[in-house]
Parts: sequence; C-alpha cells; structure tokens
Amino acid sequence: MKYLLVIAFMFFIGSIAFAQEGTVTGKVKGQDGLTIPGASVVVKGTTNGVATDMDGNYLIKVANIKTAILQFSYLGYATQEIAVAGRDNLSVTMKEATTDIEEVVVVGYGTSTKKTLTGATSQIGGEEVEKLNVARVDQALQGQVSGVAINTNSGSPGGSSSIRIRGLSTFGDNDPLILVDGVVYDSEGLNALNPNDIASVNVLKDATAGIYGVRAANGVIIIETKKGALNSAPQVEFSSYVGIQNTARRLDLLNATEYAVIKNEIIGSAGDPVPFNNTSLGEGTDWQDEVFQSALIQNYNFSVLGGNKNSTYSAGASYFTQDGIVGGDKSNFERINARLNLGNQLNEKVKLNSVILYTNEKRRALPENGIGSVLYNTINAFPNEPVKTADGNFSYLEEVTDIINPLAQIENSENQAIVNKIVGKEELVYKINDNFTFTNRLNYNYAAVDFKAFSPLVWYGPGKAQNSALNANLEPTRVEIADSVFIERGASVFESRSTFVDLNGESYLNYNRIFNEDHSVKGTFGVSVFQRTGNQLNGSAFNIPGNSVEYADISANLAPGGFLNNTGSFEFEERLLSTFFRGDYGYKGKYLGSIIIRRDGSSKFGPNNRFGTFPTVSGAWLISEEDFFNFEKITFAKLRASYGISGNDQIQNFAYRAQLDGEGVYVFDDVIVQGVAIGRASNPDLKWESTRQFNLGLDLVVGENFNITTNYFIKNTKDLLFQPEVSGVLGTNGPGGQSPIVNAGDVSNKGIELELAYYSAREKKLQYAINFNTTYLRNEVLKTPEGVEFIPGAAFGVGGGVATRFEEGFAIGYFHGFETNGIFQTQEEIDNATVVQEGAKPGDLKYVDQNGDGVISFNDDSDRKELGSAIPDFTFGLNVSASYKNFDFSMNVFAAVGQEIIRNYERQQPYANQLDYVIDRWVGAGTSDENPRLTSEANRNGEFSDYFVENGSFMRIKNMQLGYTLPKAITEKLKSNSIRFYVSVNNLLTVTQYRGYDPEIGSVGGALAAGVDYGFYPQARTVMGGFNFKF
Amino acid sequence: MKKVNYKNFGIVLVTLLFSLTACEKFLDLEPPFSQDADNYFTEPSHYELALIGAYDLLQGSFINLWIGEIASDNSIAGGESVTDSQGLHEIEAMTHGAVNRELRNVFQWNYAGVGRANFILENKNNIEFEGKGQIIAEATFLRGYYYFQLVKYFGDVPLVIDERLGADEVTELERNSKVEVYAQIEEDLKFAAANLNPVNPVKGRVNKWAALALLGKVQLYQDKFGESATSLDQVINSMQYQLIGDYRNLFVVGNEGNSEAVFDVQFSGLEGGSYDCLICLEGNAAVGFHGIRQYSGPIYSDGNSYNLPTQDLYDAFEMADDIRRNATILDIDSFIGQQANPSAITYAIGGGGHTGLYNNKYIKKANELGLPDNDLTSPVNNVVIRYADVLLMAAEAHNRSNNDGQALLYLNQVRSRVNLSSVNTGGPALTDAIWNERRYELSGEGHRFFDLVRTGRAASEITGFQPGKHELFALPQIEISLAGGNWSQNPGY
Repeated sequence: MKYLLVIAFMFFIGSIAFAQEGTVTGKVKGQDGLTIPGASVVVKGTTNGVATDMDGNYLIKVANIKTAILQFSYLGYATQEIAVAGRDNLSVTMKEATTDIEEVVVVGYGTSTKKTLTGATSQIGGEEVEKLNVARVDQALQGQVSGVAINTNSGSPGGSSSIRIRGLSTFGDNDPLILVDGVVYDSEGLNALNPNDIASVNVLKDATAGIYGVRAANGVIIIETKKGALNSAPQVEFSSYVGIQNTARRLDLLNATEYAVIKNEIIGSAGDPVPFNNTSLGEGTDWQDEVFQSALIQNYNFSVLGGNKNSTYSAGASYFTQDGIVGGDKSNFERINARLNLGNQLNEKVKLNSVILYTNEKRRALPENGIGSVLYNTINAFPNEPVKTADGNFSYLEEVTDIINPLAQIENSENQAIVNKIVGKEELVYKINDNFTFTNRLNYNYAAVDFKAFSPLVWYGPGKAQNSALNANLEPTRVEIADSVFIERGASVFESRSTFVDLNGESYLNYNRIFNEDHSVKGTFGVSVFQRTGNQLNGSAFNIPGNSVEYADISANLAPGGFLNNTGSFEFEERLLSTFFRGDYGYKGKYLGSIIIRRDGSSKFGPNNRFGTFPTVSGAWLISEEDFFNFEKITFAKLRASYGISGNDQIQNFAYRAQLDGEGVYVFDDVIVQGVAIGRASNPDLKWESTRQFNLGLDLVVGENFNITTNYFIKNTKDLLFQPEVSGVLGTNGPGGQSPIVNAGDVSNKGIELELAYYSAREKKLQYAINFNTTYLRNEVLKTPEGVEFIPGAAFGVGGGVATRFEEGFAIGYFHGFETNGIFQTQEEIDNATVVQEGAKPGDLKYVDQNGDGVISFNDDSDRKELGSAIPDFTFGLNVSASYKNFDFSMNVFAAVGQEIIRNYERQQPYANQLDYVIDRWVGAGTSDENPRLTSEANRNGEFSDYFVENGSFMRIKNMQLGYTLPKAITEKLKSNSIRFYVSVNNLLTVTQYRGYDPEIGSVGGALAAGVDYGFYPQARTVMGGFNFKF
Repeated sequence: MKKVNYKNFGIVLVTLLFSLTACEKFLDLEPPFSQDADNYFTEPSHYELALIGAYDLLQGSFINLWIGEIASDNSIAGGESVTDSQGLHEIEAMTHGAVNRELRNVFQWNYAGVGRANFILENKNNIEFEGKGQIIAEATFLRGYYYFQLVKYFGDVPLVIDERLGADEVTELERNSKVEVYAQIEEDLKFAAANLNPVNPVKGRVNKWAALALLGKVQLYQDKFGESATSLDQVINSMQYQLIGDYRNLFVVGNEGNSEAVFDVQFSGLEGGSYDCLICLEGNAAVGFHGIRQYSGPIYSDGNSYNLPTQDLYDAFEMADDIRRNATILDIDSFIGQQANPSAITYAIGGGGHTGLYNNKYIKKANELGLPDNDLTSPVNNVVIRYADVLLMAAEAHNRSNNDGQALLYLNQVRSRVNLSSVNTGGPALTDAIWNERRYELSGEGHRFFDLVRTGRAASEITGFQPGKHELFALPQIEISLAGGNWSQNPGY
C-alpha cells in the first residue's frame, strides 16, 4: 500500500521545462559503412537516451543544445562522446572496440562504466560463457577472472559448484549473493539457467558489494540475460552441440594377481591362514572398466531477439541433457527452459521490463562422494570376484561387510528430482526527467521440487548393511508391531513435494546529473522488501507391489494398516527489510568518489539485533586524465581504493530463541513414545557476521590493446556465525540437540589479483586475444571462540580421528596430524631410536616427535602438526583465442598451486582393494622408506599423517575449441547471417601429481571438509561437435 | 525550478523512510508450528512430554556395556580395525587419555540427561495437577542416575541443579567434589524413593524400588555398607522381585520386563538410525555391535564384533558346568561345531582383534532383528539393575558391615538358581566369594570395571592399570577447554 502511495507521489512530480532545448538527428554507421540499428544514443550525465532505428537513424531531444554531449554506444564498438555544440545533425562512424573502458557495467541498482567504477569488479561477456559449452554458468567463471575460485562439488550431471570470492571467510555459508536480472538465485539454483542466455556476468569482489548489505560479505555476482535492442531486425539463432563424455582418469588399482599376493601377505602377517593358495588369478575384474562408461551430452538452443521503435524482445528455448560417466542414465540431468525478456516503452516516460524464465529440471543421482558411494565401492571391490557369478547374480564381495557390488548398487538406485521453476520480474521504470529515474519492481522466484526415491528389496550379500531384504530370495524382513504380531516390510518409496517462493519488492530512485561540466553527480536511493517462504510435505510408504519401480508411488503401497508408513513436513519463512543509498561524485572525470550506506533488517535475528547498517566508501583517481601524465604508451591509468563493511546472515531461522524441536523419544510399554526436548540452545544476542574489506587497485591500458588490472585486498571477517562445540555441561548434546549459534571468531583473507588482457588489432588477418589472470590468497583464522582451541572438521577413515580444523593461526580447515619420517627398517632401529613409538614394528611409519619429549603421543595433540590445507596459494587462468580467415580457435587453462588433498577413499580393511602404489610397500629392511608394511596386525599406520596427504596442485586445459565459419558467399545463399561449426574438448588434459580421480574437488561437507577426497565423482572429458546458425 | 526538484526529492526520501519504519513489524515472525522452550509447562501434558525427553538419555547406557567390560579384564574392544572406535581400543590397553570420543560421549550424554531433568525441575512449581508428584520424582531419579554415571567415570564434576545455564555461565563453574556430587545423588534418590509409587503401571517407568536399588548401589560405591544394606533390604523385602528360573532366558526379548528387572532401559527395534548419532537411536546399539562379524548361519545374526570376551573371563568360571559361562560367553567355533551343517556357517574376523568369544547376553540374534538397519537397531533392553545384582550388592553390604548370615542368605539365593552348591564361609573369604560371584553372575553387563575399581582390585586384575590414575577416566580435554580451561585434569593424565 505504501508503495502505491510513493509511486503515485512520484508521478505527481510535474513536468519540467527545458532551457535552450533542441533536437539532434543523425545516422550511426560502422567502419564498413553499414548502418547500425539499435545503437544507443544518450545525453551524457542524464538518463535521456534513444536507440537508432532500422536504418541507423536517431532523433533525440536535448535540454541544452549548446552544452550537451552525446554518447554513442553499441555492443562490440568503442563508445564515442561527441559534443553537440549547437549542431542539429550529427552522424558518427563507430569503431570496433578492442578494449573498451566505456563498456557499461551493471552494478547494484544501477549501471556504471568500466572507466568510472570505483570498486574491484571482474566481467565476463556472454560470448565467453557460451563458448565454453558448460552445463552451468558458474563453471564458465573458473579461470576467467581473478579472485573467484570455482570448485566443482561433483562431476555428476546436475552437480553444483562451490563459488568462493576472495577466499573462505566464514565457517558456514560462503556462497556469494547471486542476482540474475536482479532476482536472487542460490548457487544450487544456477542449474536452472541456460548458459547461452547470459549477456554478461559481473562479479563485485570488494566492499562496493555493500550495496547489498547483510548478504554481501561473500561478494555478489550479477548476471544479466540477453535483451533485444530497439529498432533491430529479428536475430534468430539456432545452436546445438552433441558430445561424448568419458572419465578423464582411472586409478591404478591392484589386479587380481597382485591383489591375491598382497592380501596373502597382509592376512598371513597376523598369523592367520592365507586366503589365496593360488595367486595366479590373472587380471581379474577391472571394476572401473565396468562402472565407467561413455555418456552422451546434448544441448539444443533456440533464441530470437530484436526490437522495434518502442519495444525490445528476447526469447529463447533450450534443451540440455547429460548422462553420467558413472551410471549413465541413472545419473542424468535434463533441463528444458523457456525465457522471455520484454522491454516496452509504454509512453515517453514509462518503460515496462518483464523477464520470465521457466525451467523444468530432472535429475537422477547415485550415491556419491562418501563411504558407500558407487565409486568408493568401485575402488574397494575385489578384482578376484566377477561382476556376476555363474548363476547370473551380482557377486557379493563377501569379505568386507561395507563394500557392495557397485554395479548392483547402480542397478538398484532409483530416484528422481523434478524441479519446476518460474523466475522473473516485472519492472516499471519511470523517467521523471533527464535526471531522475524511478524504478519499481517485483522479483519472484517460484520453485516446486518433487522428489521420489524407490528402495527395492535388495540383497547385496550376507551381512551387508545396505540389505533391505532378509535373504537372497528377496524375502521381506518382518517387523514386530506388537507382542508376537509381525508384518512384512517390503520395498519402499519416499516422496516429497516442496515449494519455495521468493518475493522481492524494490523501489529506487536514480539521479544523474552533471553540473557545470565538471561535477558529475549520481545518486541511488531505494528500499527493498524480501520474503522467502518454503514448505515441504513428505512421506514414505512400504510394500510396493512386485518390488518394482513401475509401482513406485505412495498410492500403490500395500503396507497393512499403514503401520510402517511415515509422513513429515516443514515450513519456513524469512524476511529482509532494507533501505540503501549510494552517492557518486566525479570531478572533471578525474576524481571519483562514492559512498554506500545500506540498512538491513533481517528476521533471522532477534529484536536485540535486528537492524544493521553497512557503510562503504570508495574512490578512484584517473591519473591518465591529469595534465602531467604524459606516458605515451599508457592511455589509461586509474587508481582505486575502497573500504567498507558488509554482512552475512546465512544461518537457520530463529536461532536467537530456543524451541522444543529436539528429539525426546523413548519406549514405554514397548511402544515408541514422542516427548519434547530443547533443540538448539538459544542466543538472544545473535547478530550477523561482518566483513571489513579494504581494496587497493590499479587499472592500466597500454596502447589500445593491452589491459592490466591489479588489486590488493585485505578482507577481515568478524563475529563469525558459528555453531561451535559448547561445553557438555550445557546439556545440548542429547538427541536432536544443537549448540547455540554464536558470533565468535575472526578470519582474514589477504590477496593480490592480477588480470592481463591483450587484444590484437581488429584490422589484422590473424586476430587473437590473450587473457591471463592470477590470484594469490592467504587465508588465516585470527580468532576462535573463547574457550575453544579449535573446531574439529572432517573425519579421517572409518570411525577415525578428526583430520581438519578451524584453529587460530592457520587456514580454515587446515589438515592436522602426524608428520612421518620414513619407515622403521629394523627392530634394531626401533630399539635404538631416541623417540619411543609405542607398538612400532619394522615396516611401520616413523612419526616425528614434535614436542621433543621422546615419546610419540597418540592420545593427545602434542605430536601432531599442520600438514597442509585445501586452499591454493596461487590460481591461474589463461584464455587464448585466435581467428584466421574463417577459422577460430580458443583455449582455456586453469591452474591451482599450493593446495593439498587428503586421500580418504581407501577403506582400511584387510580385503579391500588398494591402489597399486602398495606394490612398493616395505617387505624387509631397505625395501621402502615410503610405503609401510601391509598387515592386519594392530598397527598405527592408519593414524592420520602426511602419508595420506598429497600435493593437490594441478593445471587443466578446461576447454579447447576449433571453429570454422562458412564464407559469406555461401551463408548469404542460405539466407543466413553466419553459420559456424566447431569441435571442442572439455577437460582435455590435467597435469597433476595427485593420485585420485580429480584434484579439483569442492567442499561438499562445508568449509572444513574441503580437500577431503571420499571418492569424488570426477569431471568427465567431453569431446563434442556443434554448430551455430544465425539468421 | 531546481528548488522544487530538491524539495520533491526530500519529500520522497522522508516518505520512503517513514514507510519503512512503520513496517518494522514486518520482521516479527513466529516460528511456525513450534513451541518455545521458555513459555512451556502450562499444562500437565507438557510435564509428561518433557519427562519422555529426560528418559531418552537413558538409552546412552549401552556405552556402559562397552566401557564397563572393555576397561576390565573381561573383554577386548574388537571391531573392524584398531582405529575403529579408537577410544575403546585405548581403554582396552589402558592407554586412554583426555582425547577419547567414547568417554566424551559419556560426559555429554549424561549432562544432556541432567539438563533435560533440570528443564522439568526448574519449572516444577508452574502449575499444580494430579500426578505431578510422580513426574517430579521420576525426573529427580533420572538426574540422580545421570550424575551417578558422571561421578563413576570422572569423579569431581560440576553440579547444575534446577536451572539451565547460558553459554557464558559455564566458564564460571567449578568441579564439585566427589563427596558433594554423591551427596546430591543421594538426596535426589531419597527424594525419588519417598515420592515414587511402589508400582508403576507403565513398563519402562521407574518405581520406588528402582530408586532404592540405585540408592543402595550409590551407597555401596561410597563404602557406606550399613546404609546400603538398609536401602537394598527394602527392595528385597518388598517382595516385588524374584530371580527367574532359567538364567539363559534373562536377555531374551520375549522375556523382557521379567521379575528380575528392577531398572531396565527400554529399547525398540522399530526405528532406524545412523552411525553418526548412536544416542539418537531407539534401538540398543551395543547388541548389533556385539554381533558376529558377517555371520551367516543359524540362531545369531551378523554384527560388528565389538566387546569380545577374553579367555581370562572364560577360564574364570570355576565350575565348568556353571550354565552362566555359556550364557555369558559364546565360543563361536565350538558353537558352529555343534550345528547341523557346520561348513555352511561362515563368519569373519575383524581387524580390531579376535578372541573367538562373543558377548552372549547382548548379541544380535536372528529372531531379534531390528529395522531398518539391523546393525544399529535392536529391541533388547539393557537391564541396568537386575535383582541378582541387588542380592549380591546386599550380600556384600551385609558382609562388609559384619552381618554374614544375611549375606550368605542372599548369595546362596543367586547360586542356587544356577544349581550351584551353597557357600558357607564368612568374613573376607565371603567377601571374595561374593566378588567372584558378581563376575560369574554379572559379566557382560557393564559392571566389572567399576566393581574392580570400587573394591580396590583393579590394579591386580587389569593389565596396565595404574593405581592412583586409572580409577577415574580423564576428563575430556576439550570439555575442560570449553568450560573455560580452569578445571584441573584428573590425577595421572
């Protein structure tokens, strides 16, 4: 209601008379003499602008025909500024851009240009995104810009990435705020977006992201989708690619003969009879061969964009499907989407922008990345067993309870998540006058998620925990529901229906004016109201007939009386209320300053701390505009600095109060009874965590073709939102209990970013562009909560100790364990050693006595030390593209150096298969100083030590592409603008010492589990061919 | 013109700000369908429900079955490997220190139980209703039980009574002396015994006799033999309990709640769970864990080969025909040999150790499966205080307070049930006989280590046991840190 009043009020602001007003007309052409329709003509310092018509003509009214300056811009051309100087006709010839510092950049609630930005940002154009042929837009960001680390959480189709802007700054949610056309997306939600629809991506890395206040601490990614231009002919595009994916890597595992020899040794060493009397078993089963397969990836994309005098349109539809290299169609992702962007000039003053995107996603997934995942079972399965036994059943792999036949596992996996999503906005832009624009919009994001998983009765072999049947005949187990009353428990199905709705109303006023030619003033003031709601209803039902997926629906259940069936639900709502202000001032285009203040109220916090204010100041000095600046070679030089505070409120709702949502369940009269218990302990003083960030940057353009951008930053995050361990005395360690969420701990990220870009001149026959970027990052925990020495992270092995930590003085999630110093070669060496290592025998790892007390202490931390971290010291991106005549070529390389990975996918079980490095094990004095003896005797070699830590540095050619565009002569005969064919390889080559599948592993279990490899689903190598028709 | 412009701009600003401040209520959301902890206890059912929550932590008692046996000479840790539940392996070897997950669980779970009992007791005066006295008495019993676990393992521990602490208040807590903790436990149990009904019609809820039996045990642990005898005599004289006929039927699900169960923790086999949260289970985790690794054969079912009895225990039974030996210990190879088709029966040996023996009281049996994950879900109740234990404790209390006649009466009741001849001795010889009888009767039930410590025999029976140190377990180092770092560690650690 209030908004209506405000809008009405704005409309009320009357018309304004113009002084010395006049009209300018003209024609806009390219260097080739062809006219350019849809080019933008704007009166500088105002929002007054028009677009050229189909013939490149324009007509614009200016307030002061003597002093006005017109800006001409069009995508791919250098922006020109021409003073009108009283003329009424002004035609221009646009030059194709090489490096364009006038390029318009979308920042929060407004636009700026590269030239006048005061913050640290990085941009990628839609073309680059499209070229990479990735399933998700964030995958295209990797290696393209500095300061942004993208790690794939899983190579499985539909898998997400972890996106980290300038390092890990918090214990919990490190995802940046992602806005697509102003609508909030979560990083998971990026699956819905077709990368071909992207017009531009802008990453706000420093404190100038603070315009988004309480959600900006992890940086902001602003994505704009393609829009049509006024007065442009319809441009129709059809493109497609089809590719074959294969695993880029296999592990070197023992074959059956090697396996038998080594297992005999292990089991024999403990004095037990050896299991294999005959070790000549040949190669045996290569489980990786059986599990990995070639898988298809396909993309079809149709789009049309254009516009007439008053309206623009951009519409598209796409279909994408990808099978998994593990599991094929059992691990599939499919996306159908349709989108419409409309711009309508309703009258001279009012413009309506509509964006609507519909997506239908389907994802099927296999257990991955953990104990019990398909790949974990694949690695550990015994090569001496066949996939299927003579009777046609899957083999049981009986020797280890926890390892099941991975192919049987794939066959028995049946699940599907279907997401239907409608995202968009309706935006009304009212141009009050040349200086004021008032924007009102409603953004919405509606998602309905339907999930179904079928659990058939399965039998993987005796004693397997995953068995749901009683025996190999797949007889159901029986449950006693009352004294001596048994019912059968058959196949089951779980279904859930969830709905998530974001609504976001925003109103803001933009002001833009140049006073006395020298003083440019821009201002933005607005309000934003955000509400997110969600709910789910789920249920599971048993005794699905026929043990068949065909009947896998709750409605089909035959469970007697519903004794086994179960239901659940949840509902949540959260809100944000914000006001924001940004003021920009520029003097003579040389000195630029900007102030941002945002005030946010978040329902995540209690009444004590509901509102927070987030200020940012930034400034830039365009040195190259100074008279004294006379380096001929350097055509542009800008020094930037920013400092500001932004926040992070990404925690569970209602953490400030205690609720009875714990688990209080006991058994009375042989029946399970539900009681109440406190869940998470309360913290009424809870508030957002805040990040103070300083950035110093320098932008240079050398000549016309060479851009250099560099940044130095210090990012300190305070009052981290933690759910640390608390004293057991508080009583929160019962079932369903949780520690309170508190603000404690500080983290610092410091780094240097460098981006270099070189473009060859446009006129040459051989054109090329090289873009190189690098980031140096140092992450350090400055403080842990009071009384907490460290916060434990990921576990190592099965039932093993904690391998990663959050601790003062170290990087987040650093690895902590024993340092080794070779192998004990002889008993004599052990006896004479100055350090006592209890239980050591020849062939055991020799640990280093860190505290020098002469004893290796296994029961405390005194002899454990830092063993590395998953955070790279340096990352590099190199992107090369070239074209010669009708051929074009591009290559993208990404490298990360200085990080470590914990090898945690080996099951430390006597019978589990192993990597073939164990062939070089210690078998007697002098045989190995690296790999310990293999034995099933009690030993300490499985303690977490640097033996399990590997160098994770790698370099990867992410994409290489060769294209051919048909000559114009042929194209024109086909009534087409351009026809291009290409072949492309993703993930062509990875150079690394890492032994696992893929050194590029994300952090599935949160910040502290980064770098722990549980049998990661590797990214595929994809060879594809595609084409691109434009009409 | 300019002027007008700015004035308008100003008005817009003010309007926007105003519209926002008026909207602050927009952020006042209430959690949907959830109850606040602070405004609870407004009706009788709230007390009932919170009491269920307080009972819930009793299910952590399974860990006593492990530590009480593994720390003693009765069993080894077992399991998949020596790093599988490493804490138990360290306890077995008497190398345990201040970093031990299982011991930390004991600390955390019992304080969680204390916290849930306190949640009721701090609100006990909110409303009055029929039956409140019984609920308050049960909650008080539970608090006493949880503190008894804590004092048994860790000695001095901070007392929190009738209140919930905030995160910053913990750092101000001191460890209360063992004497103070025991005094509080006795006070709680005496209050409970005085206010609990003699008969509780709900299976699984405690009665007056459970409170007295636990009180007697607590007094025995403090060598208050006379008081202990008085408490335990009341249980015996109540005539509510008697030894069941066949010892071998004691731990069979079908026979649960029998006349020998004075205080048993209830489990159900109807709800699954995860290895990540053993305290969240409704099933008895110990039973699946004790099972025979990858067993395929009759009667038993597969498990994780934990807590394996030692040959020392097997050999300790002086009478080979004591039916309690085979009821307590399963000799797997001998058992297989007696089956119809031995070659068809298979099982595996875990990397964590193998003795050929399994805990036959709490073990996974084929007709006692739980669902959905058989390893984690067992319906077998954990009998924390069995009437035979009451008789033997009473015998010891009488013997050590110079009333051998009564002691012999109780001891021989236990022996005659398993057809063993009566003992007829007195003084220290009788004390030894009672202690031996406790091992025959109660092994595998989690009492042995604490019995050895309380009677001063641990150093002579347990390899690696250092007197002056191992009577108590180390306080988890992290708990010392989390409480502000002011507590001193137990001696020797």
